[in-house]
Amino acid sequence: MYIFGWLIFITPIVGAFLSFALGRHDRRLAGPIASVSIALSLVFSVLAFFRVQSSGPIDNSYSWFFNINAGIYIDHLALVMVLMVSFVSLMIHIFAIYYIGEDPNRHIYFAETALFTSGMLGLVVSSNLVLFFLFWELVGLCSYLLIGFWFFKPNATSAAKKAFIVTRVGDLLFLIGMAILYFSLMGYPGLTAGVSPLDIPFLINHAQSIASYVGPNTLGTVAVLFLGAAAGKSAQFPLHVWIPDAMEGPTTVSALIHAATMVTAGVYLVARVFPIFYYSAPFALYSVVAIGAFTAFFAGIIGIVVNDIKRILAYSTISQIGYMMAAIGLGSVIGYSGVSYGMFHLIVHADFKALLFMSAGAILIALMDLRDTREMGGLWRRMPITVTMLFIGSLALVAFPGTAGYFSKDSIINASWIYFQKSGSPYAIIPWLLLAGGALLTALYTFRMFFRVALGKPRSYLAEKAHDPKAYVLIPLMVLAVGALLLGLIQPYFYSYVYSKAVVPSVPIYVEAISITLMAIGIIVTYFIYGTERYKKLNLADKFGYRLVKNKFYLDRLFTNVIAERFIAAFSGATASFESSYNKGVESVGDGTLSLGSVLRRLQNGVIENYFIFLIIGISVIFIIIELLGVL
Amino acid sequence: MFSYILTTEVGLIGVLISRDFLFFYIFWEVVLIPVYFMIAQFGKFRKESVGLKFFVYTHIGSVFLLLSIFAVYTYNFDKTGVLTFEIGSLMTNSTFSYMPAFWRDFTIFGFLFAFLVKMPVFPLHSWLPDSYESAPYPATVILSGGLSLMGGLGLFGILLPVTQSLGTFVLSFLIGIGIVSLIYFALAAMMQSSLKRMMALASAASMGFVVLAFGAGGLETGYEKTLELSGGMFQIVAHGLIMAFVFSALYFIKRSTGKENIQELGGIFRETPFLASFLLAGLLASLGLPGMAGFIGEFSVLVGSFQAIGWVILFVIFGMILTASYHIWAAQRSLYGPYNENLGRIRDSGTYQTIVLGASLIVILILGIFPNLLFGLLTAYSGGL
Repeated sequence: MYIFGWLIFITPIVGAFLSFALGRHDRRLAGPIASVSIALSLVFSVLAFFRVQSSGPIDNSYSWFFNINAGIYIDHLALVMVLMVSFVSLMIHIFAIYYIGEDPNRHIYFAETALFTSGMLGLVVSSNLVLFFLFWELVGLCSYLLIGFWFFKPNATSAAKKAFIVTRVGDLLFLIGMAILYFSLMGYPGLTAGVSPLDIPFLINHAQSIASYVGPNTLGTVAVLFLGAAAGKSAQFPLHVWIPDAMEGPTTVSALIHAATMVTAGVYLVARVFPIFYYSAPFALYSVVAIGAFTAFFAGIIGIVVNDIKRILAYSTISQIGYMMAAIGLGSVIGYSGVSYGMFHLIVHADFKALLFMSAGAILIALMDLRDTREMGGLWRRMPITVTMLFIGSLALVAFPGTAGYFSKDSIINASWIYFQKSGSPYAIIPWLLLAGGALLTALYTFRMFFRVALGKPRSYLAEKAHDPKAYVLIPLMVLAVGALLLGLIQPYFYSYVYSKAVVPSVPIYVEAISITLMAIGIIVTYFIYGTERYKKLNLADKFGYRLVKNKFYLDRLFTNVIAERFIAAFSGATASFESSYNKGVESVGDGTLSLGSVLRRLQNGVIENYFIFLIIGISVIFIIIELLGVL
Repeated sequence: MFSYILTTEVGLIGVLISRDFLFFYIFWEVVLIPVYFMIAQFGKFRKESVGLKFFVYTHIGSVFLLLSIFAVYTYNFDKTGVLTFEIGSLMTNSTFSYMPAFWRDFTIFGFLFAFLVKMPVFPLHSWLPDSYESAPYPATVILSGGLSLMGGLGLFGILLPVTQSLGTFVLSFLIGIGIVSLIYFALAAMMQSSLKRMMALASAASMGFVVLAFGAGGLETGYEKTLELSGGMFQIVAHGLIMAFVFSALYFIKRSTGKENIQELGGIFRETPFLASFLLAGLLASLGLPGMAGFIGEFSVLVGSFQAIGWVILFVIFGMILTASYHIWAAQRSLYGPYNENLGRIRDSGTYQTIVLGASLIVILILGIFPNLLFGLLTAYSGGL
C-alpha cells in the first residue's frame, strides 16, 4: 500500500473538515487551512510522481463490496492530471482568500472547494469505475453546492439545480454503461479472483481480448454511453446547457470547477478508458470526434454574441473541451497519440482558463460584479496588471504563436489534418474544417471580449472608478501567466510522457499557416469592430441568424421550457391528480362497505320471527345447492 | 406514544427473528395495532379515517398471508406427514411443486399481496401518503423505516428460497411493478406541496428498487444475481436509515419553523444552516448520491439488473432522473432562494438535534463508504442460494 497515493485525496478532505470546524470560530482560518491541505496534496502528488518514475504505476486495490474493488491506480496519465489539479486548485484557493473577502459563509466556501478538490483528485486516481463514479458524483455535488453558494440569489439556485439535473442525466448513462459492461464480462476468463470486472487497469490492459469476448458492438455501446456521461460532465453538445448558467456562482468557483478541473473530468474519463474506445466498433471513436469537433465549433458561434464576460469564457470552455474530445476521438487513426494531444491541451487549458477566470474575477470585484462587457471599456489603463493577465490568457486561448495554447491547440488542428490524410475518406476533412474554423471563432469571441474590456472609453461609472487590487493578491495569476506563456516548452516531453510513441504532429507549412491566418484575421477583425467602437454601427438585432445564435439555438428553451416545464410537469401533474382520484376511489370502496353495513344492520333487528325465517331460508338454500351439485 | 413505539418495535423485532410462521404472523399483526393508535390518536388530520384506512388495508394483506400460510402448512403435512410451521422447511421448492396449481398460485398471490401492501408498491399504496402525512413524525419514521422493511423482509427472507416456484411470469410482473412504482411515485411526488407527503412518496418509490431487485435477481444467474439480490436487501436497510433521517430532519424543521409545506418555507438556509444542511443531506441520500448508503443499493440493483431486463433499464434511469429532479427542485424551493420573511426569527438546531441527526447521518455515510460491513453478510446469504 502506497500511503502517499491515498493521502493525495484524503488530505483535502481533512482540510475541508478542519476549515469548516475551525473556520466557524474564526473565519480567517478557513482559507489558509484549505490552501495548506491542498499544498500538502500537491507535495504528495510530486512524491507519487517520483515513485512512478522509479517503480512504475501504483496499483493498490482492495475489495469494496462484493466483486467491486476500491483503490488507487496512478500511471502517467493520472499523474499529469493529479499534478495539474492540485497545482491549479492551490493557485485558485490562494486567490480565493482575496476574492471571497469578508463573506460570512467563507468557511463553508473553503470547506466545499477543498472537498471538491479531494473529489477531483480521488476521481483521477481511483482504480475502479464504481469508485470513479463515486468521486464523479462528489465533484458534481460540490459543483451544485458551490454554484448555489450565494443561495439567496434565485438565479444561482436555479442554475445549481439545472447543473445538477443535466449532469445527472449524463451520470446515469455512465451507470448504464457500467451495467452493460458488468453483465457482458460475466464468464470472461481473464477475471481471476480479486479482479473486479469494473477495474480500470483490468479494462485497459485486457481491452483487446475483452472486445473480442463481448463483441465490438456491445463494447462500442458501452463506450458511447461513457461518452454520454463525459458529455454531461464536460458540457459537450447537447448537454452543455448547464455551464453558462453555472457562471452565477462565485468566479473562483467558475475558475476551479467550470474551467480548469471538473469539466475536464469527462475528457479524462474518455482518456482513461481509451483502450475500450479504441478496440470497440469504430462508431465509438467516430462519435467522440464528431461530438468534440462539432461542440468546438458550435460553442464558438454562441460565444460571439454573448455579452456577459463570464459566459463568454464559459462558452470558450465548452469549445476548448470540444478540442480535447476531438483530439482523443482522432485516435481511431492516430492511435494513442490522440490522448497525448488531448491531455496536453487539457493541462494547458486548465492553466490559462484559470488565469482568465481569475482575472475576470479581479475585474468583477473592481466593478462590483458588473459582468456585462458592454459597460466596461478602458480598463487597461485603469487596472493595468489585471488586464495584462487577461491579455496573456487571451493570447494563449486564441493560440497565438509562442504561447502555450499555440503548442497544444495547433497540434490538435494539425493532428486532425493528419487524420484526414491517413484515413483517406473525404469526410474525414470535416473535423479539420470544424477545428480550424473554431480557431477563427476563438479569436473572434476572445478578442471581442478583450477589446471591449480593455480598450476604448469606460462606458459606465463603475468602469471609470475601477482600479487594480494590491499586487500581491495577483501572484497566483502571475504564476499561471508564466505557465500560459512557457508551458509550450514541455510539449514534446509531455507527449511522450503520456504515451511513449507520441510525437509532435508535423504537417505541411500551408496547413499550419491556415490556422494561424484564421486566428490573425479574427483578431484584426475584432480590433476594427470592437477596438475602435465601430460596433455601434452594427445592427444585427433583427437578423434571423443573429436571433438564432443569441437564443443559443433554442436548446436551452427546449430543455427547460419544453421538456422540463411542459412534458415532465404535465406528466407529473396528471399523475398527481390521478393519484388523488385513485385515493378517493379506494376510500369510496371503504364508504361503500360502511353503507352496506348500515343496510345489513337492519336485519339484526332482534325480532325472533325474522331470525327464524332467515334460518329456514338459509337451510333450504344450502339444501338446494347440495341437491344441485349432486353431492348427496 | 412511547409505549406505542416500543410495542411496534416488539412486533418488528419479532417478525425479523421468528423462524416460525405462527410467531411470524402474530408479530406481523402486533405491529399494526400500535401504529393504528399512533395515527388515530395523534394524527394531524382526519386521523380516525386515515388510521382505519391504514389498518384495513394492511389487514387485508395479512388475511391473505394467513390463508397462504395455512395452505402451505396443510400441503406440507400432506406431503411429509410432519406438522410444522417452521419457515425453513415450509418454504421450499419441493413443497411448492407438490401443491396443486391453484393453491400454489393462491399461496404465491397471498404472500406477495401481503408483502407488497406493506412495502408498498403501485397500485397497493393508497394507505401510504395519507398515513405518512397524517401520522406524527415518530410514527412516520417507524412507518417508513419499519413497515416497508417488513415487506422487504417478506420478499427476501421468505419468498427468496422459492423463487423458482414463482415462475418467470410472476418475477417479470414484479420487475414491471417495481419500475412502474419508481416512475409513478416520482411523478406524483414532484407536484406535492408538502415536503412530508413528497418524502412519503419518495420512500415508496425507492421501495420500487427492492421489488425490481427481487424480480430481476430471481431471473438471473452468476455474479449478477448475487449483486442484484444483495443490492435489493441493502436498499431495504439503506432506505430505512435514510427515511428515518429525512423525516427526523423534517420534524426538527417543522418544529423550528412551524411549516412543512414547500411554499411556506423558502431560503431557510440563511437562518438555520445546520438543519437545512441536514435536510439537504437527507434529500441527497434519498436520491441515491454516491457516498451515502442509498447509492450502494441503487447501484447494485441497477447494474445487476441488466441481465434480466436489458434495455428496459432506460425506464429505471428515467425514474432516477425524475427522482433527482424533484428532490433538487424541492431543495431549491424550500431551503434556498430569498428568505421567506413570514417565518420570522427561527432557531437553528440545538445540541440535541445535531447529535440525533449527526449520528444517523454518520451511519448513512459509513454504510455508503464501507458498505462491506453489511454487504458482505448479504452476499453470503444471497450467494448461498
